[in-house]
Amino acid sequence: MNNLQEVWSKRFNHYMTEVQKYMRFVFTGHLALVLVFVIGAVGYQYSEWLKEVAGTFPAEWIVAMAIGFILALSRPVTLLREPDQVYLLPLESKMSSYFISALKWTFWSQTGLPFIIYIVAIPLLKAVTELSSGQIWLGLAVIVVLKYLNVHSEFNYRYANRGASLAIDRITRGVLSILTVQSALTDGYSYVIIFIILLFVYNRTLAKRVKLQPIPYEHFVKVEQNRMMGFYRFANYFTDVPHLHGSIRRRGWLNFIYSIVQYNQKNTQSYLVYRTFIRTDDHFYLWVRLTAISGLIALFVNIPIVTWIVAAALGFATTIQLKYALLSSGDFRMDRLYPVDGSQRKNAVRKVLRLFMVIQAIVVMLCSIGQPLFFVTGILVIAVSELTFQMTKDPSIEY
Amino acid sequence: MTVLQLTDVTGGYTRKPVIKELSFTIGEGELVGLIGLNGAGKSTTIKHIIGTLLPQQGEIRLNGVTLSEDLDKYRSSFSYIPETPVLYDELTLREHLELTAMAYGIDEQTLEVRSQSLLKEFRMEKRLNWFPSHFSKGMRQKVMIMCAFLVNPQLYIIDEPFVGLDPLGIQSLLEQMDEKKKDGASILMSTHILSTAEKHCDRIILLHEGRVRAQGTMNDLRRAFQMPNATLDDLYIAMTKEQDHE
Repeated sequence: MNNLQEVWSKRFNHYMTEVQKYMRFVFTGHLALVLVFVIGAVGYQYSEWLKEVAGTFPAEWIVAMAIGFILALSRPVTLLREPDQVYLLPLESKMSSYFISALKWTFWSQTGLPFIIYIVAIPLLKAVTELSSGQIWLGLAVIVVLKYLNVHSEFNYRYANRGASLAIDRITRGVLSILTVQSALTDGYSYVIIFIILLFVYNRTLAKRVKLQPIPYEHFVKVEQNRMMGFYRFANYFTDVPHLHGSIRRRGWLNFIYSIVQYNQKNTQSYLVYRTFIRTDDHFYLWVRLTAISGLIALFVNIPIVTWIVAAALGFATTIQLKYALLSSGDFRMDRLYPVDGSQRKNAVRKVLRLFMVIQAIVVMLCSIGQPLFFVTGILVIAVSELTFQMTKDPSIEY
Repeated sequence: MTVLQLTDVTGGYTRKPVIKELSFTIGEGELVGLIGLNGAGKSTTIKHIIGTLLPQQGEIRLNGVTLSEDLDKYRSSFSYIPETPVLYDELTLREHLELTAMAYGIDEQTLEVRSQSLLKEFRMEKRLNWFPSHFSKGMRQKVMIMCAFLVNPQLYIIDEPFVGLDPLGIQSLLEQMDEKKKDGASILMSTHILSTAEKHCDRIILLHEGRVRAQGTMNDLRRAFQMPNATLDDLYIAMTKEQDHE
């Protein structure tokens, strides 16, 4: 027994160190700064909107749906690893103590999100409904109970069905959770009790089926791998995650762009760089993300100087990150041996970046139409990008 | 005519040299096998020839020029098939061929003709629009081989070509090599499959601890080791034992 508890705590510590290592970069990165701006702007708009919101606004249903949806997504964090399928096999009957710890962590780590959403919605509920403070806080208690049942049911369902047709389970729990929260917010406490009992029975039935099954290691390991991969991808936006291979997507709808590059020896690197940029998720989504953030700020913050600063900062961030990503030379690539001029790569990267930064400038400019001197935003993005490319050092090593 | 000439080449990754005063030549239409134990310096030698490592001493001439004298001519004169396939995850098979053709200044018509016959030979016609992530190790190797043969250079440098290829693939590769040889191209091939090397190579270079231990035809090697009738396997093992005695 103790043994498996130890396995869990060792894994948990390792996991936390790993998460902390990368979260440091997340909170010191440029996106964190932008996030502060965005939260500030959105918060301001929200408080302004609350002043004039109509009394007929269906706040209960919207809050219930947002929270019910989040509650239905209760993916278990088991921290199981591939070798466990072999090494933990003899301990199968003792694994329940391991899973109890795992589900405890799953519950505590995931309760925060519905909590925050609910707390953010409290001013809205106060403005639109006639709920007393006590009733509103009771809603929070209902969410805690729902989360607990959701975490256990999802784990048991995955276990019993070895991961198959999860959508059915999520829809069932989602609907029940939405109805429970809605009832709690409209004073229907007898319904709350009925729905909670239904969820409880649902969970017990699944738990009984679990007892007849061997542990579906393969499924849980896959869930873990996907979760860690997702985390590393997220962290990779802020820093370089060494063991991450950027995934590739064809993005066929952008194929027309490649026709810019004529078939000619001089265009060898352009041929390659256009495709590398468009098809590598890391590069392409970096550009999409920063362009979208820049555009949203321009759209919602109607203070020209803020729009300019953000657009320039994000233009700089996009250019420098993509320049490094496309020019730095890590592993050996065949194009190192090509009989083409060594400066071709740099010029190709410059061309690709110029095209996509002009698009970013146009997007941001369109979003800031209506502001005085809106065209300044676009000019700034292009100027900052060009200067950044020109003035920063070339990360490639000459071969 | 000499295609590749190494004269007293010394070099390695750090100051401490891995290959020492290496000298050999490869003539037109010659298939030369580079044979040696793990760590003997085969891959290092190849890296110096393709120019990803620069010699600390000595010089390497390909088609009469060194890399620093005429980079474009030097690089256009060879194609390279690495031991582990190096592909672009973001390019399809068709795009690998197109990129290679573009880089070596091959016109579109020639690209079409050459790639059609290569695709057929290596049974990859149906995979033109696939990305490498869907390829097996052997298929990846085939992509590298097709790109190399598409270029049609004076010299082919092939590192461990037979690992991961199925028997039909090996057969196709050997046929391609034979054909190119007849057209006057030269091939430098490093391998551990000694029976194949013995059968197909015109000459063999035995590398040992970064130096040329012996080189020549099979008969030359038998004489050098004083082992008449020996196979290349016998000679290889004899060389290993020599190392053990040292």
